[in-house]
Amino acid sequence: MTRYAMAVDLNRCVGCQTCTAACKHANATPPGVQWRRVLDLEFGTYPDVARVFVPTACQHCDDPPCMDVCPTQATKKRPDGIVTIDYDVCIGCAYCVVACPYDARTKVTKPAFAYGTPMQNEAKRFDDARIGVATKCTFCVERIDDGTAKGLTPGVDPDATPACVNSCIAKALTFGDIDDPQSDVSKAVAGNAHFRMHEELRIGPRVYYLYDATREDTPIVEEAM
Amino acid sequence: MSTQGVRRIPTYCYQCVAGPDLLTVKVVDGVATEVEPNFCAAAVHPGNGKVCVKAYGLVQKTYHPNRVTTPMKRTNPRKGRDEDPGFVPITWNEAFTLIAGKLNVIRAEALTDASGYPRVAASFGGGGTPQSYMGTFPAFLSAWGPVDMGFGSGQGVKCYHSEHLYGELWHRAFTVSPDTPLCDYLISCGANVEASGGVAGIFRHAEARTRGMKRVQVEPHLSVTGACSAEWVPIKPKSDAAFLFALMHVLLHELPRERLDVRFLARHTASPYLVGPNGWYLRDRATRKPLVFDALTQRAAAFDAKDVIETLEGRFDVDAIEVGPDDEVLSDGVVTGETGFTQLVAHMKAYSPDWAAGVCDVPAKTIRKIARQFVDHAHVGATIEIEGLTLPFRPVAVSLGKTVNNGWGGYECCWARTMLAALVGGLEVPGGTLGTTVRLNRPLSERLASATPGPDGFMSYPMNPTDKARWSPSPNIRNAYRSMVPLAGNGPWSQALGPTHFSWMFLDDTPKGLPRVTPPDVWFVYRTNPAISFWDTDALGDKMARFPFVVAFAFTRDETNHFADVLLPDATDLESLQLIRIGGSKYVEQFWNHQGFALRQPVVDAAGEARDMTDIATELAKRTGLLDKYNAAINRGAAGVPLANANGDFSLPVDAAHSRDAIWDAVCKAASAELSGGREIHDLAWFKAHGLATKPFPRTDWYLFPTMVERGLRFELPYQERLARVGAELGRRLHEHDMHWWDRQLDEYQALPKCKDFAAPWEAAVSVAGGKPVDFPFWLLTARSMQYAWGGNVGMQLIREVADNIAGHRGVIMNAQTAAKLGIDDADDIEIATPHRVVRGKAVLRQGIRPDTLLLLGQFAHWATPYAKDFGVPSMNALATMSMDLTDATGSGADIVRVSIAKAKGRAPSQAPMGRARARREMSGP
Repeated sequence: MTRYAMAVDLNRCVGCQTCTAACKHANATPPGVQWRRVLDLEFGTYPDVARVFVPTACQHCDDPPCMDVCPTQATKKRPDGIVTIDYDVCIGCAYCVVACPYDARTKVTKPAFAYGTPMQNEAKRFDDARIGVATKCTFCVERIDDGTAKGLTPGVDPDATPACVNSCIAKALTFGDIDDPQSDVSKAVAGNAHFRMHEELRIGPRVYYLYDATREDTPIVEEAM
Repeated sequence: MSTQGVRRIPTYCYQCVAGPDLLTVKVVDGVATEVEPNFCAAAVHPGNGKVCVKAYGLVQKTYHPNRVTTPMKRTNPRKGRDEDPGFVPITWNEAFTLIAGKLNVIRAEALTDASGYPRVAASFGGGGTPQSYMGTFPAFLSAWGPVDMGFGSGQGVKCYHSEHLYGELWHRAFTVSPDTPLCDYLISCGANVEASGGVAGIFRHAEARTRGMKRVQVEPHLSVTGACSAEWVPIKPKSDAAFLFALMHVLLHELPRERLDVRFLARHTASPYLVGPNGWYLRDRATRKPLVFDALTQRAAAFDAKDVIETLEGRFDVDAIEVGPDDEVLSDGVVTGETGFTQLVAHMKAYSPDWAAGVCDVPAKTIRKIARQFVDHAHVGATIEIEGLTLPFRPVAVSLGKTVNNGWGGYECCWARTMLAALVGGLEVPGGTLGTTVRLNRPLSERLASATPGPDGFMSYPMNPTDKARWSPSPNIRNAYRSMVPLAGNGPWSQALGPTHFSWMFLDDTPKGLPRVTPPDVWFVYRTNPAISFWDTDALGDKMARFPFVVAFAFTRDETNHFADVLLPDATDLESLQLIRIGGSKYVEQFWNHQGFALRQPVVDAAGEARDMTDIATELAKRTGLLDKYNAAINRGAAGVPLANANGDFSLPVDAAHSRDAIWDAVCKAASAELSGGREIHDLAWFKAHGLATKPFPRTDWYLFPTMVERGLRFELPYQERLARVGAELGRRLHEHDMHWWDRQLDEYQALPKCKDFAAPWEAAVSVAGGKPVDFPFWLLTARSMQYAWGGNVGMQLIREVADNIAGHRGVIMNAQTAAKLGIDDADDIEIATPHRVVRGKAVLRQGIRPDTLLLLGQFAHWATPYAKDFGVPSMNALATMSMDLTDATGSGADIVRVSIAKAKGRAPSQAPMGRARARREMSGP
């Protein structure tokens, strides 16, 4: 059984936002809509301070609260773990936007473009189906499906891998089948100290945050959290 | 080129100095839609074929609605910030007629003015990146003749200036980098590599962190690099020299001598050279070679005598001469000499960690810990095999950031950094401190080949002359680098490596002895915006307004082209064509295991009437009667590759105007011939399909040490006899011409530099401006924004959107506790003031900054650039002044200002810096 997951190495991430921009390119999200972004967090008090960059997006939870609250079953979870939204079914009630503990969903009610009127690239890629519905990170599901149909391996072959992972200039992001112990993502999780965001909610987020437990500022972060 | 379907087109991004990086652009039905890494280049690119966030702004850049897409001319003859230029569209023919008319008058009259300065000037953006976009424009400039390229747009302030000059002198290091792939311990004094190291830097440092490299970030604020470091040391601004000197003190005075690489110091540096009573090397009377004391014969011997065993430390009576400035023999006979190393040890005695703690606000205990960790990780005595060559392995390094590197204290910090490497034998060896490129020594593309033998067993260096016969008070360009800065040399890059603010400063008041500085008759501006990116930006605008004819290559309107007479729309990054060298050993962390060439190609048609820079240059050459010289320059290599080489002749006929594609087709063929030794000739079509061609670059060529050994050369450390000599001679020449305004700078020429209060000049500047230092208690600093640095991308909505995720892009970062004491809340409007100027911005409260420090990221405060002019974020550049007092001997200043802050009252004024009286009026509200 395939279950897709992502590992984020906080010891590698530099907060550059290349993944944020790559996601916007790959998914043609309108201005202000970031299906993924990198948070810039501080812990502690001067001079004992730690600053950490935390990429965040839909965590493709095992038991996604967004799906529970969806009145139309527009939000679904695929057997491979990817949480999807059927725009044709979504009525834009935004319950899911409120329910998501990761602030990962956005609803846009009217077309928006970088400078007001659409540029050629925006006009080319505008999708009316995304207006008035909830949107979020899909793990670049179309890319995964197209790629696997061609026999490619998500997390290994760029044409089957989420754009953010492809773009990361610090190799902080790893993607793949967490049920395959030989996958890069499984090895990354197995070989590093890690946590998952809001694990206390018991919703099974599928994004694993790796960290260097030996760093001098790790206790500052751990104490703050 | 509209074609249906989906294509992925390879090209390159060189928007920042840490490039180039390789990418593909997805084009759907003729529309560029997505930027992606060039996965095919992953095997050869040190950043795995990736591009950083800046490249993702290129699609918006291509289709930006505010682009200038036709040539335009000014209709309002009055120039000024408050004047509407009244730009109206014109045809290319009209534009060329206008420009060529001005140029041809100059050619008919004289190429230089009454002061001897070139009547044509050209300014380009930082770090040489515009050269990778300007096609054959350099060939036009070459054909033209004298051009003043010294009107700076931030050079000397925003770069790594001291490192450029001193680094290149000491180890061919125009830029310095740790050998990140092997380094285990890095002391980073303000080097913000995660923001400015580009894809290769970020990728390599992430790998190194995972491998276990410990990086100690020493800087006043917790930058993105500090965030990713193992330890942050919040040092007091502009006190890094004290910290570095104290590290040296620990190595020299608190650790056993055998912890240092004594053999490296004795054999491969000038440490054993004997220094005479007057401070100059003692020399052999006949050969004038510096002397060392031979441990075997117990006699003085020339430094390069056969089988000599140099004595590292001691004081010896020897028969010698001592030669001072201007070849004066100051001693002759039996004199007492001390080794340079012995002098160094004595010199560093006073700089203990306990002393430094009081200067730089870093506990002595911390300094000692870092010094010991540095030595522990150096593994003195260890070796490593690289490509079959056994080399010393010293996985420790020190890197310096721009404000550490620039202005007063820059020399001392660079010297201390290089000495720390030398003391453990970690200079130019695997794991250690490396230079990655040369720009003052030739050949520019072959760093190791530039290490030719010079005087006294050191590498040669193209110092500007300081002897009486050759020094001249009449410089070739307005910033006077050739007269004032011997270290700047006199090559193609030297104009930008002198005091580039002098060109602006001296327009109002040329100091005694120099010919009166004049505005250029024609000023070309390309991919730069000095009215935003330099200092004293308001005054700079006023000076530009006096320039009689300004030609600006314009993407959108901006603060500099606001003063232009003609705007020319050049085809932008994804619309134009150029082949550049990649790989080998280049800026910052761009040292590769491969070298070759990459093509930037049009992925879509150029917008409107935008033209490729090559076509523009060709037409200018044609209309100024310079076509033959222009083509000849291209044939010589002005497009990056000599068209005739040992592997083929692809020269262009000089008497015809060639199309863009014909020119670059020839360049592609010549480049591939050079790369393959003539075995594979690739034309433009091949490069368009493949994007790049490479061959392996030996990793051993990352390191200069083997070349030094092979050529019998020593690193010119620790004692700076040559610099002291040059400085003394320069002082004499200036004084002979009654020029005394450079005296303070002359003090920087020291054989062994002293650590001073390098922050003092900026505190004194407050008094000079009529303020009381106590009223301006904060240090205002800048840091590069990874998303914007060098990019010229401030008008890209995408970049703005994603950059805002990082703290500081919306205002001024200040310490939260300090803010609380001042009654300032997060996002409050605050005034930042110097005695004469006030700017206003939002407070961004953070813990990761010293209580006495403020930080403004990047350089904003735009007032003409569409989109950016609405940001409302102030810039330090509006507050910083250009000043002789704040200029060091290399002609650089530093990004640091003493300011006051207060919670603002009243309505928000415009972004322009104001006089304090005006500020009070505007802010007091209705």
